[in-house]
Amino acid sequence: MSDHTELTEFHWMMDMLQTVDVGLVVLDKDYNIKLWNGFMESHSGMLPSEVRDKSLFELFPDIDCNWFTQKARQVFELKNRAFMIWEQRPYLFRFPNYRPITGSEDYMYQNITLSPLKSTTGTVDHICMMVYDMTDVAASKKLLEITQVTLGEINERESV
Amino acid sequence: MFSVLICDDSLVARKQVAKSLPDDWDVAVHFAKNGQEGINALIEGKGQLLLLDLNMPVMDGYQVLEQIKQQGLSTKTIVISGDIQPEAHQRVQKLGALEFIEKPVRAEVLEQVLTKHQIHTEIHHQQVKQLERLDPQVRDCYQEIANIAMGQAGDNLARLMNVFVKLPIPNVNLIEVSELVMMLQDIEDEESVSGICQGFVGPGVCGEALFILSDSSFGDVAKILNVKDEVDDQVQLELLMDAANILIGSFLNGFATQLDMHFSQGHPVVLGQHCNISELISTNKTRWRRTVAIEVSYGLEGYNVHCDLLMLVTEESMKIMNHKLSHWMED
Repeated sequence: MSDHTELTEFHWMMDMLQTVDVGLVVLDKDYNIKLWNGFMESHSGMLPSEVRDKSLFELFPDIDCNWFTQKARQVFELKNRAFMIWEQRPYLFRFPNYRPITGSEDYMYQNITLSPLKSTTGTVDHICMMVYDMTDVAASKKLLEITQVTLGEINERESV
Repeated sequence: MFSVLICDDSLVARKQVAKSLPDDWDVAVHFAKNGQEGINALIEGKGQLLLLDLNMPVMDGYQVLEQIKQQGLSTKTIVISGDIQPEAHQRVQKLGALEFIEKPVRAEVLEQVLTKHQIHTEIHHQQVKQLERLDPQVRDCYQEIANIAMGQAGDNLARLMNVFVKLPIPNVNLIEVSELVMMLQDIEDEESVSGICQGFVGPGVCGEALFILSDSSFGDVAKILNVKDEVDDQVQLELLMDAANILIGSFLNGFATQLDMHFSQGHPVVLGQHCNISELISTNKTRWRRTVAIEVSYGLEGYNVHCDLLMLVTEESMKIMNHKLSHWMED
């Protein structure tokens, strides 16, 4: 009975990972893709079977290999999480905007988190990459900055 | 340092009031030209004592007193005004002012009032109080786990960057908003800084990590991280993020291990590059009142690199933390 419940929960969990609105990718030490969830599949148009065991940098030549490996190194070596935010680079994967009609930006701004996956022996041979859509935040922040600059200019003109 | 805010629209009056403060009183004196400026300064923690004029443009003294009440700002107010009508006296005292002094203010009168309300003599008490607010045993315990976590973070930094990290003793305090502002001002030392802030949460324990790097450090950080490009704003942000990832991440790992819990980390937020440090937190400091602050200043031997890691944990988290750490505190 309890086995059955656990199995059901496992299925739910898998289903949720597949449908959650966050990109999930597992990479090994050579940056080969081991797991590719539904979010990644939908936005990239690449099936999990197409990307499995292929190198991240070969599939996405736009990704700066040195830059990325430097961030990933500390995750493998220090078992730390590493964060990359859209202010550093707008995106890692060039995905189109989630809202192709009403969205103001052409592509999806992304925050990336790299998290260590410990093996049963405690070593980190794989890392998990999470891709978050930050487009709305980025668009609002850009708009706010433009507004602040305009406001500053108006104030300056008036004080002259 | 105890801070005094003098709020008066007249320059002469501001100078006169400042001159009347007791000579032996080591205080930071701030000025405001009207009530609104005064309120802003109070929010920034620049006035443990407020010396307030009543008739001012923009916002007058009565409105200031009302605002202090409404916003629950902690300050002691003494009104110094030329308005000698008895009704004015009553009104301001009703609004929460401690005392009413007539203009022009005389040093002896001001000193009397300060002594009467134990403001002048209170400074020493306050320093003692600040140390006592955190149970010494709890404080020792936090200091010890901070020490271990800090050491791990330093070791990680040293290994990844191949440098020797100078480790200080972590500073543990229960602080209020105004004190955080002052603490950061101490760090600032008139140089410009950049910061990253990141929220973390575990079961029953939550807080924020604040990583602050002085701008003068960037050149050397770039050398250490082997960055050959010119260090522009974009490269600086990269360096800031890298250093913050390493230090915050490893500190939290160490911290979590000792508390036997797991922390989720939110997305880091850039706190504005090259801004004045008081501006860094001025936008969102009204929400909380007290926090446990663990302050660690890292330096790198042979390099001009100075960074500060501030771990701020909410007061409510202490209960769970103390419970988790009870085995440290026994015997």
